[in-house]
Amino acid sequence: MAFRRLMGYLKPYQGKFWIAFVALLIATGTDVMIPVIVSKFIDNALIPRQLDPATLWFYGGIFLLLQVISPSLHYYQLISFQVIAQWVIRQLRMDVFSKVQHLGLSFFDRTPTGSLVSRITNDTEAIKELYISVLSSFLQNIILIIGVFIAMFALDVTLAAYCLILLPVFYMLMQTYRRLSSKVYHVVRSKLSQMNAKLNESIQGMNIIQALRQESRLRTEFGKLNQEHYVAVVKNLKIFGLLLRPATYLISLTTIVLVFNYFGIQSIAGGAVRIGVLYGILNLLDRIFEPVNQMMMRLSQMQQAVVSAERVFELLDQTEYAPQKEGDGNPVIRHGRIEFENVSFSYDGKNDVLKNISFVAEPGQTVALVGHTGSGKSSIINLLMRFYPVKRGTIKIDGVPLQCYSDEELRSKMGLVLQDPFLFVGDVRSNIRLHNHDISDKKIKEAARFVQADTFIEKLPQGYDEPVGERGATFSSGQRQLLAFARTMAIDPKILVLDEATASVDTETEEAIQTALEKMRKGRTTIAIAHRLSTIQDADLILVLHRGEIVERGNHQELLAKKGLYYKMYLLQSGAVLLETNEQTTARSLILNSPNSIFGRKL
Amino acid sequence: MCFLFYGGVVILSIFRDLWWFFKKEKKSYITGIAALLLLALLGLLPPYAIRHVVDQIAAGSLTVKDLLFWSVLCIGVGAASYGLGYFWRIQLFGAAHRLGQLLRNQLYEHFTKMSPSFFHRHRTGDLMAHATNDIQAIATTAGEGVLTLADSISIGSVVIFTMAVFIDWKLTLIALIPMPIMAWLTNYYGNLLHQRFHVAQEAFSDTNDKVQENISGMRVIKAFGQEEAEKKVFKELLDDVVEKNIAVAKIDALYDPTIILCVGVSFFLTVAFGSVAVVDGTMTIGELTQFTIYLGHLIWPMLAFGWLFNIVERGRASYDRVQKLLSMKPDIQDQVNAIDKLPTGDIQYQIRSFTYPGSPTPALEDIGVSIRKGETLGIVGKTGSGKTTFLRLLLREFDIQDGVIRIGGCSITDYKLHRLREAIGYVPQEYVLFSMTIKENIAFGRPDATQEEVEEVARIACIHEDILEFEHGYQTVVGEKGVTLSGGQKQRISIARALLLDPEILILDDSLSAVDAKTEASILKALRENRANKTTLIAAHRLSAVELADQIIVMDEGRIVEYGTHQELMENDGWYRDMYERQQLESLVLEGGA
Repeated sequence: MAFRRLMGYLKPYQGKFWIAFVALLIATGTDVMIPVIVSKFIDNALIPRQLDPATLWFYGGIFLLLQVISPSLHYYQLISFQVIAQWVIRQLRMDVFSKVQHLGLSFFDRTPTGSLVSRITNDTEAIKELYISVLSSFLQNIILIIGVFIAMFALDVTLAAYCLILLPVFYMLMQTYRRLSSKVYHVVRSKLSQMNAKLNESIQGMNIIQALRQESRLRTEFGKLNQEHYVAVVKNLKIFGLLLRPATYLISLTTIVLVFNYFGIQSIAGGAVRIGVLYGILNLLDRIFEPVNQMMMRLSQMQQAVVSAERVFELLDQTEYAPQKEGDGNPVIRHGRIEFENVSFSYDGKNDVLKNISFVAEPGQTVALVGHTGSGKSSIINLLMRFYPVKRGTIKIDGVPLQCYSDEELRSKMGLVLQDPFLFVGDVRSNIRLHNHDISDKKIKEAARFVQADTFIEKLPQGYDEPVGERGATFSSGQRQLLAFARTMAIDPKILVLDEATASVDTETEEAIQTALEKMRKGRTTIAIAHRLSTIQDADLILVLHRGEIVERGNHQELLAKKGLYYKMYLLQSGAVLLETNEQTTARSLILNSPNSIFGRKL
Repeated sequence: MCFLFYGGVVILSIFRDLWWFFKKEKKSYITGIAALLLLALLGLLPPYAIRHVVDQIAAGSLTVKDLLFWSVLCIGVGAASYGLGYFWRIQLFGAAHRLGQLLRNQLYEHFTKMSPSFFHRHRTGDLMAHATNDIQAIATTAGEGVLTLADSISIGSVVIFTMAVFIDWKLTLIALIPMPIMAWLTNYYGNLLHQRFHVAQEAFSDTNDKVQENISGMRVIKAFGQEEAEKKVFKELLDDVVEKNIAVAKIDALYDPTIILCVGVSFFLTVAFGSVAVVDGTMTIGELTQFTIYLGHLIWPMLAFGWLFNIVERGRASYDRVQKLLSMKPDIQDQVNAIDKLPTGDIQYQIRSFTYPGSPTPALEDIGVSIRKGETLGIVGKTGSGKTTFLRLLLREFDIQDGVIRIGGCSITDYKLHRLREAIGYVPQEYVLFSMTIKENIAFGRPDATQEEVEEVARIACIHEDILEFEHGYQTVVGEKGVTLSGGQKQRISIARALLLDPEILILDDSLSAVDAKTEASILKALRENRANKTTLIAAHRLSAVELADQIIVMDEGRIVEYGTHQELMENDGWYRDMYERQQLESLVLEGGA
């Protein structure tokens, strides 16, 4: 199944494939012609001693001509098949990668990054080996074997017919080897991976192993696995020794004996034996045993590649797509009015992380979401960004349900700033622009200036061309945030979705960030997750979430007056702020003066 | 020539370094190499037989007896070669695998002896690479390396000698002209291939990084609608990979045609000059046939010779890396005359200063604490204040430069390391479980513990009920291939694991951070009941974990800043009280403010 599908990938390269195939045929043809020519030379010229210059030039010329054609065509076909394999794998990788781009975030939540990366790169690499093995090795070797037989038939039909017995012998040998080795090969691989897993685990947990004094026990356990691996390897070696090279050598000698007996008996019976034919047949036979060895050695590798292919196709057949636009029409976001109506949501289909969430953000307003970890703040943002499908309740933008908008419309009108500002490898400019070519260099600078990132960017040795390494590790977390702000401002969105960073940054950058945020929010509908309540006191609406529900709502003053959860959070945080600035007395008096003096009782 | 000299030096040096192993496996190597030599000699016979049959057919003098003789000879050679071919593989390759096995065991044993600082200096991935790839390369040197050396020398010399001495030395010289060219060319390709392969690998690793980045940044990509653009970038990277791999293929594809061409020219020269000799009568047609077959036998030794250099060069580098690792000494070792007695009694910390190796600033300074036997000590403070260091020093994961820790009056360095560790039950901050069953994990330090004993400590650690809920109960496998446990469950299993040892001293290094307040309280209660007269050290972020300790130290930047019982510290207007009040409020908020 997987195998047939893999071969389907060859279709676009049919033309190139067949040309290479013809080259292979001709090259193999010339290869097997050489012994035939030599055979004719021996019988027609050497033995009868007809060595006039014309004959010599004739044979020598053909010989040398073939000798030039064969390597050139072989070079051509070898490269062609390699090139085809490369392009096929490129296509396969592109397909998997493209597929992954359109999968929903729910898929990424479930699948570890490492295994996805491995599917796209390592598994496809293993499949590449399959193409190269099949195309270069199997095809060539089989063609060669066929060619040798054709040449033998040309030299001596009867003997060639006798030699056909070799084919079932080879087939049986290969089948036996495949059957025996696949099992052992599997054991070798699994023992090796067990051993490596044990080693890896031991290295990582060595302090525990030592603290619990289990060193010698684990050494024994590792030694046991090591021994089992050795036993499997030796078994593999034995199968190899019994069925591969030594076996084909024995078969080849037996065939040689068959050949000289065939001619010998003719000779003894008084028939005329053509020495050249004998010579040619021996030479040809010498060429078919190595191909058999080659194919047998590729067998286990091929089986491995098919396993990889199955994994890749499994990913290609994945249907957990990101939510897509529904219905016709192309609504446009003009004002940025956001409305949640009775939205409930669950990631796993069992536990609701959001329960009946309803609120409205009028154009230009700021709505802040507060609550502790796991209260559902991020889920609201995930739904608004259409990372997950809304199944219960509706989210509307400008009165139109979210699912009616096209991806382009949503992505160009909604700007998301994540808590962990993700930077890509490239430079500062490319991180602000991303791949959006509508954004001019001028716009990039404007966006950077707008969020006050320009001051630090211009101080960089290469300014906007400063290289950004993996994950932007050379930048401070504050700088990374400013760059992420600039990135969002460069698309000038109608709606701003903020996930405020909890990471602490130095005071100077912190100030820049706060000023930038204030400027960014102006004139835009903003949905913001706030960790520090001090930053959202001017929000039009604050939603306090607890276990997926909105437990309190209102503006800062109203919520303080309620003296509920928000109030306690505020106390906690203002206490923290004040403690840090060493104004402990003020903080404590503020807390202790709170009416429901929570410290009176013990929890 | 220079290359040959350099290659020769490498071969000599690596084989000299592996000499101890060759000596140890004397029998395998001597018999294996003897088998190879015998095979090289036996290989001469079938062409010899063919020559006679051909000549006798040409002369019309072949008899049934002759034919039978040569047939039996060839079959005999075939059978012997089959046996010998099997034999040397088992001998040589078997020995090579034993070397791999031996080195892996050595390395593993070495790892178990190394101190934590070793594992800080070396990344897991690097250590794994040494234990897998490097050992593989060394084993290949001891197997394929020996084979290619023995084969290229034995077959090469035996065949050339026979051709020159028994057939025709002039023809031998002529026929061999293309062979050194072939060896030189394949070696030249080898170098080019190596370079280009390296470049192609880098391009491949770029795509790997890109995929990694793409998947990690998927949220941003989706939020900015960058999917198509990402595809374009990936496509460009793939084009680059294709281009560089084709550059590799262009060299790789040269091997076969070069061999075909060189062997073909050699063959042509043989037939051309051989025919002249046959016509002159200095050579029979049978001899010419024999000669061309021998020529075919020379291809492998030529290729093996080129291959040999590759193998030993890699083996040399790998052997050096593995030896460097094996020669490292553990930082922490038993003293001469170390006390072979279980440490017990009061614990005294008297540390003037302790600095981690390679760190510019001390991690602990002026630490003086006494813990009486049976007491509980609480250690609190901010992240990075030195709590974990304080505990790790008691385990002797590092030795103190200036100061001493005593148990029962003797410095911990005076005890045998094994005895010290026997006295301590350690629950580390980062919960380390192994991929085995839950029961085996709990019984990790005492594999012979009964099910009852395991269950008893699981109850104390409040994990028994959780375990029973798993499909296979105590037999549930933990880890990648098994059930995923929550952080709190892992912590409690770690605690049970330490409790099973019923240690003199129990160390909990922030081991209750992921369990809820109620469970924490019941674990602490159970601990107090079960550990009468035994010492417990608890480091914690949540102060409720140390509230009932006999004494509490508050650490900051490696120093003790506050000290006393919970009551005393609450009266004190310091960090402890601030923190305690904040945490009370926090837990209130977590409960929804009720």
